[in-house]
Amino acid sequence: MTETLFIGLSLSSILLLIALGLSITYGAMGVINMAHGELVMIGAYTAVLSGIYLNLNFFLALPLAFAVSALVGMALERLVIRRLYGRIIDTLLATWGVAIVLQQLIRLEFGLSFFGIHVEGLGPGLQSMDVPSFLTQPFEIGGVPIQPYRSFIIVVTLLLTLLTWFLMYRTSMGTQVRAIMRNPQIAAACGIDVRRVSAFTFAYGSGLAGVAGVLLAGFKTVMPDMGASTVVDGFLVVVVGGVGSLLGTVLASGLLGQINGVFAILFNDILARAVVFGVVIAIILWRPRGLFSFRSR
Amino acid sequence: MTRNTLFRLGDWGIYALFIVIVLGLPLMMDDVFWLNRIAKYLVYGMLGIAIALSWGYAGILNLGQGLFFGLGAYMVAMSLKLQSYTSMQQGSDRPVPDFMLWNAEPGAPTELCCIVKGSWLWLPFQAQWFGMVMAIAVPVIVALILSSAIFRLRVSGVYVAIITLALVLLVRLLIIDAQPVTNGFNGLTDLGWLTVAGIEFDPYMVSTYYIVAVSTCAVLLLTRWLVSTRAGLILQSTRDDPNRARYLGYDVAAYQVFFFTVSAGIAGFAGMLYVIAAEFASPSFLDITFSISMVVWAAVGGRSSLIGAAIGAILINTIEATASETEMFQEAWKLIIGVIFVLVVLYMPRGLAGLAQDLAGRIADARVGGKQRARTGAPAE
Amino acid sequence: MVAALTIDALEVDFGGFKAVDGLTTVIDEGELRVVLGPNGAGKTTLMDLISGKTGSTGGEVRLFGRDITNRPEHQIARAGVGRKFQIPSVFRDLTVHDNLRVAVSQVPGVFRNLRLGMAAADRARIEEVIALTGLEPVLDTVAGDLSHGQMQWLELGMLITQQARVILLDEPTAGMTQAETLKTADIILSLKGSHTLLVVEHDMAFVRKIAERVTVMHMGKLLAEGPMAKIEADPAVREAYLGTGGLH
Repeated sequence: MTETLFIGLSLSSILLLIALGLSITYGAMGVINMAHGELVMIGAYTAVLSGIYLNLNFFLALPLAFAVSALVGMALERLVIRRLYGRIIDTLLATWGVAIVLQQLIRLEFGLSFFGIHVEGLGPGLQSMDVPSFLTQPFEIGGVPIQPYRSFIIVVTLLLTLLTWFLMYRTSMGTQVRAIMRNPQIAAACGIDVRRVSAFTFAYGSGLAGVAGVLLAGFKTVMPDMGASTVVDGFLVVVVGGVGSLLGTVLASGLLGQINGVFAILFNDILARAVVFGVVIAIILWRPRGLFSFRSR
Repeated sequence: MTRNTLFRLGDWGIYALFIVIVLGLPLMMDDVFWLNRIAKYLVYGMLGIAIALSWGYAGILNLGQGLFFGLGAYMVAMSLKLQSYTSMQQGSDRPVPDFMLWNAEPGAPTELCCIVKGSWLWLPFQAQWFGMVMAIAVPVIVALILSSAIFRLRVSGVYVAIITLALVLLVRLLIIDAQPVTNGFNGLTDLGWLTVAGIEFDPYMVSTYYIVAVSTCAVLLLTRWLVSTRAGLILQSTRDDPNRARYLGYDVAAYQVFFFTVSAGIAGFAGMLYVIAAEFASPSFLDITFSISMVVWAAVGGRSSLIGAAIGAILINTIEATASETEMFQEAWKLIIGVIFVLVVLYMPRGLAGLAQDLAGRIADARVGGKQRARTGAPAE
Repeated sequence: MVAALTIDALEVDFGGFKAVDGLTTVIDEGELRVVLGPNGAGKTTLMDLISGKTGSTGGEVRLFGRDITNRPEHQIARAGVGRKFQIPSVFRDLTVHDNLRVAVSQVPGVFRNLRLGMAAADRARIEEVIALTGLEPVLDTVAGDLSHGQMQWLELGMLITQQARVILLDEPTAGMTQAETLKTADIILSLKGSHTLLVVEHDMAFVRKIAERVTVMHMGKLLAEGPMAKIEADPAVREAYLGTGGLH
């Protein structure tokens, strides 16, 4: 029982980790960023490359990946998304193109492979990242086996969620972001620099994706299309939770993660995911605005 | 001659040209491998038309069109699998798919009815017509049920996209999980040929190309007729302002359901033709990548132009096939298509069709000397 | 004679707040009724209830004796109710002509509309409406490009084309220039008699120009009803409008 719960919890925390950034970029800014998965992937590659070239350890890779993904996200906002605010479907399509471009840039080693140059750590192949050994040795507390790496992910996710909550609800920047969420025109009329705040918000959401990438790299192989499959899950979590609701995102990832965990034990992984999709469809049909959305008339 | 008449002439001219080229291609090209490839891209063109119909004219972005394509493909592939050479090698006088034999418990009867759990579902597919009918019927029925739920509950916009996306992923997983009856990840391969009235349609024969080509042209004209009818006009009005349409007395959901279902039926039909030309069906038809690719083709060609979307799909795939001759270039092409796509969305939201319209508009203006400069209604083709 | 529109003890409860509270009024065929009331009196909600946008929690709406309470919007429209919104609601991506074509809705079903072209009678009706609204010069213009006034007239024209027997107009002159307001008044007056109209309006000069009978609402309830002159003299009405200095 506790083990099932723990599996569900760790699935939930990974979902939440990916959805957290999306709940900000989609929830706050109405941007369906299909390249979010690629920002996750860039975070993972940052960890791999910083290990190879800078000899940085895993923990130092976390802030570095945040910074790198945030910068990429900021560039993405400035070059593409800024022109598409209010055209939500177009943001989806354009960022889909961006996602392909980012994947190909890594796969083609920024184009260097055309010249026969190979950059170690890049390219189409699989990469892996070293995790400090104390995070990989399972230990027991009172007879219950604990997976240290999974626990670590849960703790980091928890901290990031709290940080995000604090930024959104306890700082003036957060108030501005929430004002933009509700009504960008009025927010602008109130003297909020919508462009600047949007750029920072997008960068922050992207940075969270980068951190997620490092954590994923600890138990998944790193490859150019590793992020593509995560983005859909992230979206489903955000939509089910209710766009713009941080609490909703947290609870939805908990719900979907647990459903996934329970059905994976009852049947198998494939059917468990199918059940999750079924639940998502039912919830959206039942409450299109998600489980926890603010009401607007 | 007025500007509008010029426009209409140009429009029909493009349709005529398209049909002439598609039907006349075998006269100009005798490479059967390329002809077979083009047949597949025409099928993609049909998918582009289906997307333009639901997205451009109805304002419904279906990110799960691969579901209907995949269902159509699997239905006909089941029939063709039972007609294949490999299915007859089982020592039984009636066909049994080879993969079922590999999956069967030792000692299970080598009969289609009961060789593996659920294999009886295959029984009616022994008749080829059954598979072909189901290739249209199943997507249409699924679309009817799905869209009735979606539009009666007034789900709209991006939520429709998310539901369709989740559903295609769900069905994909079910197909993979039902490995004993669907061959899971590997899909259905080693298929037989389509046989009509004793004639076998080898995918690399010109006659097979013509089946696809004529179907594509027929679908193009049919959808063009559909959107030109009053129902098509009313559909566009529901896209612009569903409430206004309701207060004029139209049951908006009925229109959305009808056109969503037609679009799904076309996708199912396309799936069927694809299997006839490509000789396989696979769960990759239900990958998100494929469904989004269809939207990409339509967007590049022109999301609210039926023929534009078709040309977009054919063009992108033909260029991609040419580029794929060398592996290095194939990867570079993906990069290029990503960049093109971003640029199209940013700077050319009406796609190639929009470009052509603007160009035609300029020529027409020069012709009629700047008279009648009134904008024509969108989406003109 | 059966009344065109009968509103009988109509009520809607938004979680304890009754936006319309036991309203009863009868509107005769061919009548032009103006609904007045301070902000929040429930005027727009009343229109929402009649047209089916909002479901009522009590009471009845009858159209020529037929119960249309809480029917889906399109069925109410089909029964003969047309509605114009405060913010003009037209099909912005279609041309003016196509807007009017959509509005000719003799047969609403999908399959019966799977045909090209239009019946001669429908075409004639569209011509009439074009003449009435003066939209001739902009027929091929995309509706989204029209001026505010033209857009309002187009919407009005669509209601006439639709052959709505009862037309609900929500502030038809909001945001209009003086000249546009006068033209709108002319269009509305020309409909009187052949159509039954229910108009919500704030512009008192406009109301005096068009009004016969007036219904005054206050906090969801009927405050007064009668000819314009009587209403303006009514002390209860003056009381309700006190904060805003009476009717002006």
